[in-house]
Amino acid sequence: MNYSMVGRLIWKDWYFQRRAILLSLAGGAVSLLIVAFGGQPGFTIGLIFLVSILAIISATTVMGNVLGERENQTLAFAMSLPISYLEYTTSKIVGALLIFVPLWLAMVAGCLGLILAAPAIHGLFAFTVIMAVEMLVSNCLLIAVVLVTESKGWSTSAIVSGNVSISLVGYIVAHVPGIKNGMWGTTILWTPAATILLLVEFALIALILGMAFFLQSRKKDFL
Amino acid sequence: MNDISVYLDGVCKKYPHFSLDNISLELATGSIMGFIGANGAGKSTTIRILMGLVHQDSGTVRVLGHSMPGDQAAAKLDIGFVSEDMRLYGPATLAWHMDFLRPIYPRWDQAYAEALARRFDLKPQQKIKGLSHGQRVKAALLLALARRPRLLVLDEPTTGLDPVARTEVLEELMAVLADEDRTILFSSHNTLDVEQISDQITFIDRGRIIDSDNKEVFLDRWRRLRLVLPPDGAVPRFPGVVQVGGSGRLPVLTTNRFEPAMVSACNEMGATVQAIDTMTLEEIFVANVHSRRERGAA
Repeated sequence: MNYSMVGRLIWKDWYFQRRAILLSLAGGAVSLLIVAFGGQPGFTIGLIFLVSILAIISATTVMGNVLGERENQTLAFAMSLPISYLEYTTSKIVGALLIFVPLWLAMVAGCLGLILAAPAIHGLFAFTVIMAVEMLVSNCLLIAVVLVTESKGWSTSAIVSGNVSISLVGYIVAHVPGIKNGMWGTTILWTPAATILLLVEFALIALILGMAFFLQSRKKDFL
Repeated sequence: MNDISVYLDGVCKKYPHFSLDNISLELATGSIMGFIGANGAGKSTTIRILMGLVHQDSGTVRVLGHSMPGDQAAAKLDIGFVSEDMRLYGPATLAWHMDFLRPIYPRWDQAYAEALARRFDLKPQQKIKGLSHGQRVKAALLLALARRPRLLVLDEPTTGLDPVARTEVLEELMAVLADEDRTILFSSHNTLDVEQISDQITFIDRGRIIDSDNKEVFLDRWRRLRLVLPPDGAVPRFPGVVQVGGSGRLPVLTTNRFEPAMVSACNEMGATVQAIDTMTLEEIFVANVHSRRERGAA
């Protein structure tokens, strides 16, 4: 693996998404302020903003860096560089994660910080962590689908199903007894159910990214 | 194998509606091959296979001693590639592209890149999306040439260029040819461009190599013979006659194996050779394709 070439390609993707990254950081900070100081309605609205910003930055950067490369016909230029397709795939997956994860971490940390600062909602801690990781799962699924299919239709479907799945998973998680029971309490409750759900999510991430690498390695036509 | 830059042997690639069939090609180091074919003939697919961007179903591909597609990363370090459908990053400037490529290629020549920018009248600080098509092609060519590649692969680089831009691009390519160690594969459906810069010619049609030879040999062995036959005289039969045109007593023979002895042979058969026309590469290409297709249909 030529790590310096992979790093160069990641830097390129960062460069072209720098405005979107800065905008989403600013948007995330504003959302957290709304959550912190907006009272009860602000809490809900701020969280909706936060989730929306993460969904938008995920879709924008993945679509722009992966699908955009093909649609703008810059893929031929990228693939004329001294890289293999596996290195190209690595750069796209790692690059997309390196854009999303720091933003996601910053926003999740801000969100958890606000929960920790307000004892009245301590019970939401486990639920928030699980739902935050669910957003990471959706992001990984989107990266994999866009990379493997290189199709606008499939990518749009992945975005829609990712957003729908957040609501669906949220509903299901909120009804799991190990989560539901302490959710509206004033103490942080981390149950075995929360651990299992988190492990399942990380296993899904590993499976999705592993499948993406596997399917990419079987491709025979790259242009 | 050391003096062979590009080697394809028995390369096949099947698509639902198109097949590349048993492509074998050799390109000696320092030579310039013009790769000519109609649209959809298989030029781009062949080039993508030799760049490792499309994997062949069968056959061997070696580029600069590297086995493709497995060793493509090492091979591409020494290849400059420009294709008609290649675009640079629109929001970035040409200078950004130069800065991006410079650390990647050990032989990157910044002074040459800047000289090329002046010669092509390109402003490095201008964004790519603000460039015309001709300027974009020149920018892509600049970025390929400044790498100082051992192999230059150009897939229809002059398509869509106005005559002035085409001439500038071809002139720069001809200047590049002064480097005897640089090998160039130049694909086009414009035979005039290819004729100007190539010393080897390969014709491809419907996924098959139909002819490949030295350019001078091509031009020497293809001729059109305009004959006048005696009343009731038959058209003389020679090996290498690929087409018989004209009409009645005034047939026109197109041959790919012309020899001066054919004239005396015609005279002995009672026919008079009125004229022996040389053929342009375009005429040779068209005659070649037609004769192969007719033979294929028969």
